[in-house]
Amino acid sequence: MIEVSEIRKQFGEVRAVDGLSFKVAEGEIFGLLGPNGAGKTTTISMLSGLLAPDSGTITVAGMDASRGDRRVRALMGVIPQEIALYEELSGRENLHFWGGLYGLTGAALKRETDRVLDMVDLTDRADDQVGKYSGGMKRRINLCAGLIHSPKIILLDEPTLGIDPQARIKILDIVKKEAESGTTIIYTTHYLEEAEELCDRIAIIDKGAIHAEGSLAELVDLVGEEDMITVTGDFKSWKGDNLPEGVRLDHMEEGSLRFYISRKDSLGSLLNSFFGAGISVESVSIREPGLQGVFLKLTGRELRD
Amino acid sequence: MNTILRIFILDLKRRMKSPLAIVLTMCIPLVMTLIIGSVFGRDGDVKLPRIKMLFVDYDEGLAAQFLRRGLELGQLAEMVEVIPVVEEEGERLMAEGEASAMVVIPDSFTTKIVDGVPVTIRVVKNPSESFLPIIVEEIISTFGVILDCGTNTFREPIRKSKEILTDEGWPSLNELQTLMDEAKAIFALAGGYMVDTLLTVEESTVSEAGDEGNGKSSGFNVFSYVMAGSMLIGLLFTSNIMLRDIVRERASGTLTRTLAAPLSIWHVVAGKLLAAYMVTMVASIALLIIGRFVFGMDLGGPVVLAVHLSATIFMITGLMTFCFGLIKSERAAEAIVSVLIIVISLLGGGMIPISQMGEAFRVIARFSPVYWASDGFMKIFLNQAGLIDIVQNIVILTGIGLVTLLPGTWLLGRNLRKGGSK
Ligand SMILES: Nc1ncnc2c1ncn2[C@@H]1O[C@H](COP(=O)(O)OP(=O)(O)O)[C@@H](O)[C@H]1O
Ligand SMILES: [Mg+2]
Repeated sequence: MIEVSEIRKQFGEVRAVDGLSFKVAEGEIFGLLGPNGAGKTTTISMLSGLLAPDSGTITVAGMDASRGDRRVRALMGVIPQEIALYEELSGRENLHFWGGLYGLTGAALKRETDRVLDMVDLTDRADDQVGKYSGGMKRRINLCAGLIHSPKIILLDEPTLGIDPQARIKILDIVKKEAESGTTIIYTTHYLEEAEELCDRIAIIDKGAIHAEGSLAELVDLVGEEDMITVTGDFKSWKGDNLPEGVRLDHMEEGSLRFYISRKDSLGSLLNSFFGAGISVESVSIREPGLQGVFLKLTGRELRD
Repeated sequence: MNTILRIFILDLKRRMKSPLAIVLTMCIPLVMTLIIGSVFGRDGDVKLPRIKMLFVDYDEGLAAQFLRRGLELGQLAEMVEVIPVVEEEGERLMAEGEASAMVVIPDSFTTKIVDGVPVTIRVVKNPSESFLPIIVEEIISTFGVILDCGTNTFREPIRKSKEILTDEGWPSLNELQTLMDEAKAIFALAGGYMVDTLLTVEESTVSEAGDEGNGKSSGFNVFSYVMAGSMLIGLLFTSNIMLRDIVRERASGTLTRTLAAPLSIWHVVAGKLLAAYMVTMVASIALLIIGRFVFGMDLGGPVVLAVHLSATIFMITGLMTFCFGLIKSERAAEAIVSVLIIVISLLGGGMIPISQMGEAFRVIARFSPVYWASDGFMKIFLNQAGLIDIVQNIVILTGIGLVTLLPGTWLLGRNLRKGGSK
């Protein structure tokens, strides 16, 4: 459905997107997971025809989308990262306008407006000014505005940014339902849990490039079966030799050590070696392999909110 | 087309929901009109520029002397500079626009007054000035009435006119007005007893006699005079608010969202320019209605007013589009455009009427688009101008509109498309 090949975009000296390629099949939820400044929004802008790539190609439903073809744009619903609504108008008036731009009129426009309002539970607040809505309500209308014309493809750019957990669950639910009905979805986020929960396939993006791509299981396989162990305590007298079998030291700093272990029983031997050396251990944490580990391994950084 | 209409309606709707900015903007000309109008209209202490009055005296008798001395006394002398000339010289000066009016006292004026033979003083007005020639006309009429009515019938005005001749505290414009009104009232009362008016003041302009209200004083309204210029400031700022909004939508993300829909940037620009035109039009109509019913302005012929108003708003929309297309950063645009509006308004007579400015400024004024607009309104409001009379204004305004709107639209579109990515 969507095929992106080697797209690049540079703003002055900043290479916002630096040779990105991926494919998304029809009905799939494809996640772009990466920290702030990774190039997610820039990618979405290029996909939605708002920004022309410096080089590379974008094909959507067999059409060239890099030039902002109107037929391509008609297929898409874009939910921008920044809430883009007219605050002085009501939620309903906003939806009427955005729906109208996609060719909905009369009874159909009214029906679709009611449908999306009901979907996000805002029917009874629909006639209040958007300016008076809470952050979560604005987010929900912001979502509706991109869904009102029942697009074949939905591009969501961090749609859950800064909202309460309930509204977030609601939004994730809606995205899932849309995907079930056969809509193709590209979902960007910097929340690991969202990507894990929602996406059929995930691309890890940082500094404008994709570092790994695949289903959650495939990505986790990349880091292997190792658990990550973080131990805190006083390690001044610790020499770092004689590590038990299956334990690998990954990172070391004042008062904290990070290991990867390939066998669960190695943890006991490791701790015993500390006790034997008279080292006082304050805490031990174990993390099973997950996207966090994948991200850390691929980029050398933690992915934080 | 449908899309343009949607964007147009959206903008009107949004403006209706938050009309405060525009309402406040429209208060600028209203307050200016009120203040300047009352200052001019009620308080004679305000320094007007000295009116140059050419004085052609074919009589050289007592009555003419009386008139001339009167004009050279006290405060009136500060207001009016009487320049004695022969008629040919006077006509030349008038043609060159060197004076506001020329007063022609006919041969044997005094004798005819004394003998009770009807006689006419001719006042030739400079058509490019609206206000000052009218003052001259009013003054001369007043003197005329005083002379005309004679000492016996009109003791009261004569007593006052003695004050005029002797007192150093010369009446303010206001007192003069009262005096004039009184004299006129008595004159009207006396009308039943007198067979005919002996003295009439005939007015004409240099260019063409006859297009001014034949010999009848044309109820000069000082508010019209101020409004003709000050409404332009209000309209420029209104258009500014509307077009600034386009640039602001770039920051708010709604423009980006609009552009993600299957439409072209030109739909957006067209819809929004139409909305700006419409809102400015509605604002000006509101101003004119207030002018008509609150300030008692005469708005002139509806057709000429509609045509001139359309041309004016076309010019304003073009100019603003050009500004916002040319200046990329929103902040710079806001600062520069406001300054520009003030400067062209000041130069073009939006704040201080052109006729109150010095010679050099009157030349410079012609380079300000505001001049052509306010000049046209002044002619419509005060001189009952028809389409023919202000065709030059309309052509120039439309021309400015065209040469700014076309490149402006292109620049703005390009500007927004670029900004739309952020
Ligand atoms: N219009 C722009 N002008 C200049 N730099 C930009 C622009 N848009 C994005 N950038 C830069 O490109 C990089 C990627 O930004 P973005 O795509 O917004 O990342 P993300 O959405 O993943 O947080 C950042 O360094 C950002 O500062
Ligand atoms: Mg972003």
